[in-house]
Amino acid sequence: MVRVGGRVTEILVVDDSKVMREMIVACLRVAEDFTFTHAASGLEAIEKLALQAFDLVVLDLNMPDIGGFEVIEFIRGQDKLHHLPILVVTTRGDEGSRSRALGAGASQFMTKPFTPDAILANVQSMLRPDGAESP
Amino acid sequence: MSHAFDASEFLAGFLVEAEEHLSASTMNLLAVEASLRKGENNPRAVRELFRSLHTVKGLSAMVGIEPIVDIAHAMETVLRKADRAAGALSAKAVEALLAGLRAIGERVRALSTSAPVAPAPPQLLDALAALEITKDEAPITVELDLEPGLLAKLSDAEKAQLIQGAENGRRALRVDFVPSPARAAEGTTITSVRERIGAMAEIVKVVPLSIPASDAAPGGLAFALLVLTDATDEALAAAAATTPEEIQTLHARRVDEADPLGEPDSAEEGVGETEGRRRGIVRVDVARLDDALERLSALVITRFRLARAADALAAQGVNVGELCEIVKGYGRQVRDLRGSIMRARMVPVAELLDRVPLIVRGLSRTTQKPVRVVIDAGKAELDKAVAERIFPAIVHLIRNAVDHAIEPPAERQRLGKPEEGLVRVTCFERSTNQLELGISDDGRGIDREAVARRASRPTPADDAALLDLITLPGLTTLDQATKTSGRGLGMDIVKRAVLDLGGELGLRTTPGAGTTFTLLIPLTITIVDAFSFVCGEQTFVAPISAIEEVVEVAPEALVRGPSRHSQLGEVRFMERRGEIVPLVNLASVFSLASGEEPKALVVRRNGTPLAFGIQRVVGQQEVVIRPLEDPLVKVTGISGSTDLGDGRPTLVLDLVALCGALSQNRTEVAA
Repeated sequence: MVRVGGRVTEILVVDDSKVMREMIVACLRVAEDFTFTHAASGLEAIEKLALQAFDLVVLDLNMPDIGGFEVIEFIRGQDKLHHLPILVVTTRGDEGSRSRALGAGASQFMTKPFTPDAILANVQSMLRPDGAESP
Repeated sequence: MSHAFDASEFLAGFLVEAEEHLSASTMNLLAVEASLRKGENNPRAVRELFRSLHTVKGLSAMVGIEPIVDIAHAMETVLRKADRAAGALSAKAVEALLAGLRAIGERVRALSTSAPVAPAPPQLLDALAALEITKDEAPITVELDLEPGLLAKLSDAEKAQLIQGAENGRRALRVDFVPSPARAAEGTTITSVRERIGAMAEIVKVVPLSIPASDAAPGGLAFALLVLTDATDEALAAAAATTPEEIQTLHARRVDEADPLGEPDSAEEGVGETEGRRRGIVRVDVARLDDALERLSALVITRFRLARAADALAAQGVNVGELCEIVKGYGRQVRDLRGSIMRARMVPVAELLDRVPLIVRGLSRTTQKPVRVVIDAGKAELDKAVAERIFPAIVHLIRNAVDHAIEPPAERQRLGKPEEGLVRVTCFERSTNQLELGISDDGRGIDREAVARRASRPTPADDAALLDLITLPGLTTLDQATKTSGRGLGMDIVKRAVLDLGGELGLRTTPGAGTTFTLLIPLTITIVDAFSFVCGEQTFVAPISAIEEVVEVAPEALVRGPSRHSQLGEVRFMERRGEIVPLVNLASVFSLASGEEPKALVVRRNGTPLAFGIQRVVGQQEVVIRPLEDPLVKVTGISGSTDLGDGRPTLVLDLVALCGALSQNRTEVAA
């Protein structure tokens, strides 16, 4: 599920706040080969993940219907999604969620507020098969 | 190179969402209070409150409004505890939470008026922290007969909600929905199913389930919706694209002990989320503003008709003095109204260019060339529709600049240039209806000869000819050429975008020193101030912005051209303030009967003037341009049609494009 040379990178941005999704996309739009799909709820995210291929998921934890933890559990429970990188982006001040998210199978965890540099660096390093840090 | 996150870009959206959450939260708190009076808990409202406050906290943190973060955090803590206690909130807690909502609301409103935001009141934070939430109900001793995998996904509060609902006479049901690409194509997704079911049932929880992939379930996924409802199985099945037989009724059974639950990380969205009150800022669909403009167009036409009617009366000898005053006043009002609607459509160019540093940064990384970007957009504003159409062209030019124009650092060092390349984006209002965008670099410049070689064309004589050459559609695939020429990728796309807006693309390049592209674009589209004039016994209009001057043609001062133009007959020249200007008869351009042409419209393209001879100028007025949509009737030089109030279409001329087409012809004739 890592990037194949030259192909566009499909990123699923999951957050119930439209503004937050827009902010995340604004931070990541730098890379011209990224395309973005929005999901406004955990349910929508799971449905899109089941029906389409993505290279990376940016995931909020606190959402209507079902939360980010359930989305992570769903992803990790699927054979075909087992290696999909998941970047959890959630509101700060909840160390419990960090360990719980990483324990459930999130690849990286960051808290809001985040800087564009930080989220971009995270995404780019997650897309590199060797996990190398960005220059 | 680091980029700061510009939260201000998202402030308007933040204010709208914050207001929506505050409004929904107030409703939910009042619902909790109402339940409290009946001696009941309202776990659903508490979960929604928790989710709203959590979202407000996250958004406030992103836009850097710490006082709201503090208040929302304190409230969220209370609500988290209440959620774990199956929605138990005391009257005192409701009071404190309402005070919290008020405090957040005050700060959001301060923000919307750019007033300073007061810090979080310490006494409020203390009051919230001091609240004690106790679980005032006996532990659950009743369990639902659901498969364990599903049951494990339900929180205490959700189970209580289902059981209570069933006890109160509603039906507790499980409805499954299986998504598929075919269903998604028909618009049947979990989101739409949830909406439809939500209209006829209280959705307590939706659980995703992995199922074996099959033709019916290509995604290997099903959603189980657990609901409380009075609706029929048939209605529910139809809403979830399933059959009534598949719907399962949930029964409660007594158990000895309830298992304690994990952290309630998820919350369920309310049935019919309250429409937010919006103060200060409104998000408006551009289509609605377009609709308003469309209606305004009708008013503009009415004004022409009024003026014509008044003229007709005057011709009959009626005293129309007062009527004329009213028509004039009406004209001013329509113009003011148009101005207001146009202003509502304007976005700051600086906002549009906000993404540029991020783009340059990304390009700089991939090309390994350090590049500095300087943006100077001042206070210029641009119509949203124009902005959306022009932005891809800007990105294209910037990408070309970084990819091809700016030399690698080693080469720059050898040339004695600073290692860091420079891309500059400037913008200023050239006139009341035109904006000039400049995209420059300090790279290698464009090598005319190299471009000409690649294109197998003669070497262009100047920058204008070079621009015509690099914007030829055929040149787009010459990506190898770009290594030596410094430019050439998809320039025809850039040109198209600018021309489609009725704008003009310019180029200035100096080998070894850099290149500047200028984009002259209209601030708004649709309505323009225009001259109407007669030539070849027909009325035409042309935007005033395109016309530099209307001059008298003195036949004795005209000089014959050296050759006869195949299409235009004679090209003559006139002198204008020491400059020799070619004069063509506009009527003959359109193969109309050409007669006297005592007036001329002077148009300038890429700095070169051209005069179009016409019979007479009729007037100056605002016209609504209706683009000619049909590609079959698209003619160079005609940008659309308009109605001057006589009910007949009048052609709107694009004299600048016509000028371009003609000068190309002239070059061919000369060559």
